[in-house]
Order: sequence, then structure tokens, then C-alpha cells
Amino acid sequence: MMVPSLRRVVLSSLVLLSAAAAAAAAQDTTSRVRELDPLARLSEGARYQVELLLDSAKVSGLPTTPLESKALEGIAKRADGRRIVAEVRKVFRSLRDARAALGPSASTDELNAAAGALRMGITPAELAHLVKTRHEKQLTVPLVVLSDLITRGVPRDTASQTILSLWQRGAADDDFLGLWRGVERDIVSGTAPGVALLNRAREIPSRGPPPAAPPASSARPDRSENSNP
Amino acid sequence: MIHPRLHATAFAVSLALLSTGQRVQAQGNSELQTWLEAGALTTSRSGSLPLNALALTPGARYANNRMTASANGSAWLGGQQVQLGNAVAALEAFTPLLYGVRAELMANASRLFQDPLVQNDQLDAEGRLHLMRQRGGVWLGSGVARPLRVAAVSNVNVSSGGIWTRLGPATLRGSVTSFFFTKVASRTDTLENAAVCPAHFVAPSNPGANIMSSTDQSVSTGCRQQSRLTDVEGTVHWEHRLMEVTVRGGQRFGDKLDVTSESRQWASAQAAIWITSQLAAVAGGGHEPAQPTRGLPARSFGSLGLMLAYWPIPRGIVPVETPASLVHAFEIRPAGTSLQRLTARIGGVETVEIMGDFTDWAPIPLIRRGRDLWELLVPLNAGVHQINLRIDGGQWIAPPGVPTLKDGFNGEVGVLVVRQ
Repeated sequence: MMVPSLRRVVLSSLVLLSAAAAAAAAQDTTSRVRELDPLARLSEGARYQVELLLDSAKVSGLPTTPLESKALEGIAKRADGRRIVAEVRKVFRSLRDARAALGPSASTDELNAAAGALRMGITPAELAHLVKTRHEKQLTVPLVVLSDLITRGVPRDTASQTILSLWQRGAADDDFLGLWRGVERDIVSGTAPGVALLNRAREIPSRGPPPAAPPASSARPDRSENSNP
Repeated sequence: MIHPRLHATAFAVSLALLSTGQRVQAQGNSELQTWLEAGALTTSRSGSLPLNALALTPGARYANNRMTASANGSAWLGGQQVQLGNAVAALEAFTPLLYGVRAELMANASRLFQDPLVQNDQLDAEGRLHLMRQRGGVWLGSGVARPLRVAAVSNVNVSSGGIWTRLGPATLRGSVTSFFFTKVASRTDTLENAAVCPAHFVAPSNPGANIMSSTDQSVSTGCRQQSRLTDVEGTVHWEHRLMEVTVRGGQRFGDKLDVTSESRQWASAQAAIWITSQLAAVAGGGHEPAQPTRGLPARSFGSLGLMLAYWPIPRGIVPVETPASLVHAFEIRPAGTSLQRLTARIGGVETVEIMGDFTDWAPIPLIRRGRDLWELLVPLNAGVHQINLRIDGGQWIAPPGVPTLKDGFNGEVGVLVVRQ
């Protein structure tokens, strides 16, 4: 009687061990797949839609990194798959609009910053105003500051007009960052966001008109050369 | 500051050996801290025997947006006896900021035990108006203190004003504090013979009037003198990486009858250097002025010790919110090619993590360097990056001091602009 009983125990143990080993191997494989392909953590349907958007971005000549990044951010923040797809789609659309407003020579950082501003409610027409007086200067910092000001409760029109006015007066990146710090301080101290911005903007001296655009023979690539179909 | 502060009267040197501290809970915008300090000290004073004692000091502090309450006390074990040492219970309440100004009310009850000959109690309350800005502020205050068991002192009227500012890692503070009180001297000498009031003292027309309650008969028959002292003091507190230094200096103005020569000027310094995340060397020394309202003489002191900090993991607590106010500073500085050093000052927490586009949104823990300094080297190229910070497994937040963006997932991200 002991022998069959012992055999059953050994067999059962072997089966359990095999199952555990198989499960561990599967888990390990899944982990490795996720390391190599972080989007694998999305559901099949969500992943398909994100990949479609990535392909569309490639075809449109848009950077795909911000889209992938938004998807990974959503995964890390345990967002619902549909929500992630919706946010990635928003990023795609805002990047497309930003490219249309800034032109093909815009850097990825500028595109990202402009896309962020568009998602905060800035219109493509307002972006185009900034671009008109761009004169070789990077729009990244003014756009980052503009988006933050709206996030902090500055009325959209006030924020947009103030940043545009400073930009046209030749304000530099340090001016914009200093403005942002001052406004943040004032808001923390109890000042209304819009008032804080207007007060601080008055403190920034005019830097004069922006430098004239360089001649066509300069090293700057012509926009038409880089334009995408 | 959770570290031993053992002052010895006269020419003593004290040694502090061990201190433990822990945060019990941080939830929402409130925080409860408890700590326990233990140390050995030696004090001596001219004319009395040195006192050697073991001191045990438990403490607790609760803070939220509107008030702070704290209490600590100490028990000294010397010889075969346990003696209640210094003890303080404090309450501070604040109003909301209105145009950058807030009202503050502070109340304290304290017991001072320096040695068996110098011990008394005091109740005090002060109101302040404080104009605050992000990097500095100005305050004006007034209050009253009521010393107990100090036979020679009446109520003390206190007026104060001050200014503070932050310059990089340093906090500078200057204050002017004026004390006005009535000093009472005995009219009998040590041999219980009747004595005549000195010329500068005034014999009371109604003995005992305006004098603090006391069982000491000599007080009710004492001479009174109105005293006014003004202290001007400056303090610099500097924190840099693993070092914390506090330097104080001051000048006392007042009649020479009220201010002895050894209390005219004072200066002291204290420093803590974190050797590891749980071990710090602390040292201090200097000269302190007399506290005439508490019967404490001027003294020099020195201290040297090691601090062992224990940071246990809170049990059974699920953080529901990470208040950004826990993060006292957040900085990013270049640290070589393509590397940036992220530092954050966050006290009383167990873990700090970041994630961002530069980590593919994978959380990375910061490394604790000392009591509240957290640090990490990250590869960050020039450009714009998004970052989130998480404390004790709570919500992901945007670190303070950087522009922010809504993340689309009911939160915000910080935006780092890294220049070439």
C-alpha cells in the first residue's frame, strides 16, 4: 500500500513542479517581451490603434517619440487603454497642427512645446503670430511657459497676448523663465494668476526689435527644402 | 532638527551619542513626527559640583496647513535619581495668506532645567503679522511671557521684528527683539538682615503689587526695577549636499545694570555632516547670552557627537496624496557629459522616485544622502523633458520649481528645459 501511495505523491509533486516551472518560464518570457517591447503591456486593441497612429506620424513626417512616450506614460500611470489611445491621438493631432503652424524647420522640442500649447487651448493662428517674429530664435521656452501659465489658471487670452507681446519685444529665454518664476511666486502668495502675469510682464525690459532675418545664403536650411509632401 | 542639543553651563563640554528619529505618518497635508533622543552629558558651573547624567528626550510634532503643535520633554538619570529636565509644549496657528500676509499666533509652555539650582517654568504667547514671499519675508510681533518660579521677574512684554530671505542654499534671518520687564530684588541680605534698596532700585509703595505669584517672602518685600533689553541677532543656515551649518551672532543693548559684559555679544555655530544616510557627525560651540527673565546665566558651550538616524517603514499606511509642499527643494545641475544630477530635499519620507520620457516612463528610485537629501544621476540630453516625482508610493506629481503641463491622465508633469 505504501508504494502506490508514495508513487502518487512523487508524481503529483513532479506535475506541480513542472507546472510551476512552466508558469515561471512563461512569466519570465513575458517580462522579457515587455522589456523589449514596452507597448506589449497594452491590450491588443489599444496597441493596434497606437501603432496605427505611430505609422500615420511616420508617413506625415512627424516625430514618433512623443506618441510612444505618451503611451508609455499612460501605461506607467495605469491609465485605461482607451484613455491612452485617446491621449496619443490628441498628441498626434496637436503635433500635426503644430507642424502646420511652425513649418517644417521646427525642431522636435519646438514641435512638442507647440503641441502642448495647442492642447492647452492655444489656437494655430496664435502660434502663427509667434512664428512670424521668430527670427532664428527657438520658440521652445516661450511655449513651455505659455502652457504652464494656462495650467496655473492665467486666462488663455491674457497668457497668449502677454507672451506674444514679450516675444515681439525681443524677450530672451531667461526673461521668460524669470517671468514664470515670478508669476508662480505671486500666485502662491495669493495674487490672482492673470494679475500676477501682467504685473510681472511689466518688469521685463524691452530688448528691442528682434535681429533681422539672415540672408538666404546663410547656413540655415531653406524651409521649402525640408518640407514634407 | 532631530539632534541632540545639550548645552552645558560655564566651561562644560557635553557629549551626545545617540539620537533616533522617525516619521510616523504623512497623509494629505498633515504630518506627524515622533523622535527619541538619548545622550550623555556633563555640565559644570563655578561653585557647584559637575553633573553627569544620561538624558532621554522623546518628542512629537504634528503639522498641517493651519497649525503646528509640538511637545518634547527630557528625563535625566544622574546617580540613582530620575529628574525631569527641559520640557516644551508649543502651538502655532496661522491664517490663510491674504495678499501675501498672514497672521500667526504662537503659544508655549516650557520648563527649564539647567541644574538643580537653575530651574523654572514659563508661559508665553506672541502674535505676528508676516508678509511672505517665496524667497523671503518680514514680520512684526508682540507678546507677553509669564515666568513662574522665578522670584525676581514679573511679566515680560516682548516686541519683535525680523526679516528673512533665501539665497541659494542659504537662509538668512535677522531679528530685533525687545524685552520689557520688572526685576525684583530681595531687601534682605543672605543673613536675613534688613537691607536698603540700591539707589537704582525703587522700593514698592504697595509691596507685592505687580509681582508674580510666589511663595518666597523675600519677593513681596523686594525692590523693583524696570528693565529693557534689546537683542539684535543674525542667523545663517546653510545646507549644501551632505552638510548643514547654522551660525548665529548677536548684540544686546540695554543698561549696564541689566546687561552684563559677557552678555553683550554672542556667537555660536553648529554643524552636521552626514557620513552615511543613517549616521551623521554633529558638532557645535559658542557663547550664549544670559536669559535674565529665566535666571539663566551667560555660558559657553561645546558639543560633539554622532547621530544615528533610524528611518523605519510606516506600517499599515496607504498614502492617498503626495503634497508637493513636502518637497522643499528640487534642483537639476549638469554633472558631466549628458548627465544631470537631480537633487530633492524631502524630509521624513521613505522612498522618492522619478520617471519621465528619459526613463521611458519607468520609475527609478532616488538615493538618500542624509536626512532629507535625495539624489540621482540621470542621462539627460539638451532639450525639453517631462518628469514626474513620487513620494512613498503616492501619486505622481510635478516637482516644484519647474513649469508644468497637464498630462491627460488627471495629473501634471514637470517640464525640464536642459540647455547645452
